[in-house]
Amino acid sequence: MTDRDSILAAGIDVGSSAVKFALVRTAADGAERVLALHNERIRRRELRKVIRDGYEAFLETAGVRQNDIAYTASTGEGELVDFRRGHFYGMTTHARGAVFLLPGTGAVIDIGALHARAMRVDERSRVMAYRMTSQCASGSGQFLENVARYLGIMLEDVGPLSCEAKNPESVSSICAVLAETDVINMVSRGISRSDILKGIHLSMAGRYTKLLRSIDACGDVAITGGLAADIGLCRALEEKIAEEKLAMRVRTHPNSIYAGAIGAALWGAYRHRVLARRTEVVA
Amino acid sequence: MSVEILLGIDLGSTTTKAIALDRTGRIIGRGITNTRSNYEVASQIVREEALVQSRFELVRHALAADPELSGIEKRFIGSLVRNFRRQQHLAQLEFLESTLHRCADAPRYAPNREAVKEVLNRICDAMRSRVPGHFSELSVRKSDFFRDLAAADYMQFAEQFSESKHASFDVLCGLFDAAILEVENAAGDGAFERHSGPALEQTLATAPPDIREREARLRSAVESVRSLEFQLLGMVGTGYGRQRLPFPKEQIRSEILCHGLGAHAMFAGTRTVLDIGGQDTKAIQVDGTGIVTSFQMNDRCAAGCGRYLGYIADEMNIGLHELGRLAQESTCSVKINSTCTVFAGAELRDRLSLGQKRPDILAGLHRAIMLRAMSLLARSGGISDEFTFTGGVARNPAAVSALKNLVQQNYGVRTLNISPESIYTGALGAALFAQRAADERTVA
Repeated sequence: MTDRDSILAAGIDVGSSAVKFALVRTAADGAERVLALHNERIRRRELRKVIRDGYEAFLETAGVRQNDIAYTASTGEGELVDFRRGHFYGMTTHARGAVFLLPGTGAVIDIGALHARAMRVDERSRVMAYRMTSQCASGSGQFLENVARYLGIMLEDVGPLSCEAKNPESVSSICAVLAETDVINMVSRGISRSDILKGIHLSMAGRYTKLLRSIDACGDVAITGGLAADIGLCRALEEKIAEEKLAMRVRTHPNSIYAGAIGAALWGAYRHRVLARRTEVVA
Repeated sequence: MSVEILLGIDLGSTTTKAIALDRTGRIIGRGITNTRSNYEVASQIVREEALVQSRFELVRHALAADPELSGIEKRFIGSLVRNFRRQQHLAQLEFLESTLHRCADAPRYAPNREAVKEVLNRICDAMRSRVPGHFSELSVRKSDFFRDLAAADYMQFAEQFSESKHASFDVLCGLFDAAILEVENAAGDGAFERHSGPALEQTLATAPPDIREREARLRSAVESVRSLEFQLLGMVGTGYGRQRLPFPKEQIRSEILCHGLGAHAMFAGTRTVLDIGGQDTKAIQVDGTGIVTSFQMNDRCAAGCGRYLGYIADEMNIGLHELGRLAQESTCSVKINSTCTVFAGAELRDRLSLGQKRPDILAGLHRAIMLRAMSLLARSGGISDEFTFTGGVARNPAAVSALKNLVQQNYGVRTLNISPESIYTGALGAALFAQRAADERTVA
C-alpha cells in the first residue's frame, strides 16, 4: 500500500444521545469525499450494542466490508468503540469536519446534547481558542429534547414550529430541569408551542452568543453537533448575533450534525497515510 | 343520604395530592396522580381519586359495622379495589389505543400507515395481556400511575415489535408521546359509578365461599355507598401550581404554611420540618401550634430536589419507587462529581458503562441530594427536636438513611418522624385550613 492510493476511513462520533457514523474516501492528491452518513439515536438502549449494531448496518448499507477500511476512528465518548483504531478529541474533529463542509469557516459552535463548545479555527482547521459551557445543562440539547417530548413534538418538528412563533415567551428559569416545569406552566397558561420553543431557542442562542464573543469569533461561524439540524435554533442565533451587531455570519450545512464523525474519519485517513509513509521509509 | 367532607389539594410539580376529611377532621380518603400540563384536569382527577378512596373507606366502615360481615372486610375490599383498578386501567388503555390510531392517521405516516397500525395493534394487544399481572394480589407495580405503567409496557413492546423500515422505534415513541399527552389531559369522570359495578361482579365471581355466601349483604353495602352523595363543606389548594388552581383566592394557602400545619397535625412535637418535593426543597421551623417561624427554600436549580431523583429514575428506566430500594443494596457508595441534574444523569450513564454497580452509584446520588438539604436546614436555623421529614422523597428509604447519617454527624441525636403518608402532608395542611374556615363559618 502506498500513499498514492485512495483509501477509505470511517468515523464514529459517540454523543450522549446519538451515535453518528461517516465513511470518507481520501485520495493521495488531497481530494476528500464523503460516501455515506448515518445517525443512530440511542434512546436509552445499551450503548455498546447501539454502536456495534449501528456500525455493522452502516457498513452494509454503504456496501463496504470492515476489511476495506483503512482506519476506523472514534470521537466524542469513543472509549466504548472497542473496535476503533484510534480516538480523536471532539474539538479537533468538529473543527476538521466544519472546515471540510463549509470552507472559509472562521469559528465553530458545536452544540450537543450536554455541552456547547465554541472554537476559533484557522483555514487548516487548527483550534486557536475555545470556550465551553460550564457544569450545568441549562440550555443544552438534552433539555430541548425533554421539552419536545413533553410537548409531544417530534424532534424534527421543533425547528419549523419555532420559526412560526409570533410572540416568543421568555424562559425565566435557569435550570434545565426546572425550566421543564416552567414549560408545563406555559402550556397551562395557553401559550402556543411555537412561542414556547422560540423562547427556549432565544435563551439558548443568548448563551452561545456569549461563548462566541468570549473567543473573539468573527466571520463565518459554522454550527455543528446535533442541534445544527434545528433550524429554529440557527435562526435564533442569527437574530441574537444581529441584535448585538456582531461581525459574524451563521452557516450550516445539511450534514453539519455529522461534522464530528466526518472530521474523525478525515483525521483517521490522515493518520493512516502518515503511518504508512513511515513504514515505507523504514522498509 | 349525604356525607359532609372537606378537601385539601396539593398541586405539586410531579404529583398532585388530595386529602378528604370528614366533619370531625378524620382522614377518610387520599388521592394522588401525576401532575400534567392541564392543572385543572390534574386537580379534578385527584379530587375524584380522593372521593373514590373515601367511598371504599365508607364501604369498609359499613362492613366493619355489620357483625355478619366484619372479619372478611379486608379480603373483600382488597379484591374489590384491585378489580376496580384493573377496570379503570383497561378503560384508559382502550382510550390510549384509539388515540394512538388517530395520531397515526396524520399525513406524515401515510406511506407506512398500514404497517404502523399493524404494529400498534400488536403492541396494544400485548399491553392488554399484561394488565391482569399488574393488578394481581401479589404484584408489585412499578408505579401506580397509568402514564408510567403504560409507558413502560409500551416501550418494551415497541422495541420488540418495531421494524426499522416501516414502523421504526423512533416513530412508535413519537406516537406514544403525542397520544399519552392527549389521554392524560382528558378529564375522567364518575370513575366509581362506572367501574365499581363490574369490579363488584368480578370480585364476587372469584371470591371464596365464605365471602360468596354473604353476597346479598355485601351487594347492598356497596350499593348504599355508591348512591351516597358528598357535600363539600370547603376546599383549600396549595403547592407549586396553586396560583393556577381554579379556586378563589381565599381558598389558596402557601405550601410553607400547609406543610408546617400538616407536619404538626401528624406529629405534634414537630419543631423542624424538611420537605423535599418535586422541584423545591424547604426547611421550615414551626412553633408548638404548627405556625411557621422561619424557613429556607432552594434556589432555582433542580439539584437537591425530588425531581433530581425522578430524572435519574427516568434515565435508568425504572420507577421512582424502586430507586431507593436499589440504592440500599449498595456496599460502597460512589462520590458523585456533578451538581447539575442532567449531568448527574450523564455521569450515571458513564459510570454504568465503565462497569460500576448501579446500587453504589445510586447511593452516591442519594447522599448528594441530602447534602444539599443539610445546608438549607442549617441556614433556616438548624435542626431542633423533633424533626419531621415530609414530601415524596421521605418515602425513599435510601434518602432517609442518608439523612439519618448526616443528622447524626452534624447535630447528634434527634427524633426523626416520618409518616408513611408523608407525601400528603401539604394536602393535609390544606384540608385542615379548609376545616378551620368551615368552623369559623359555623361559629359566625
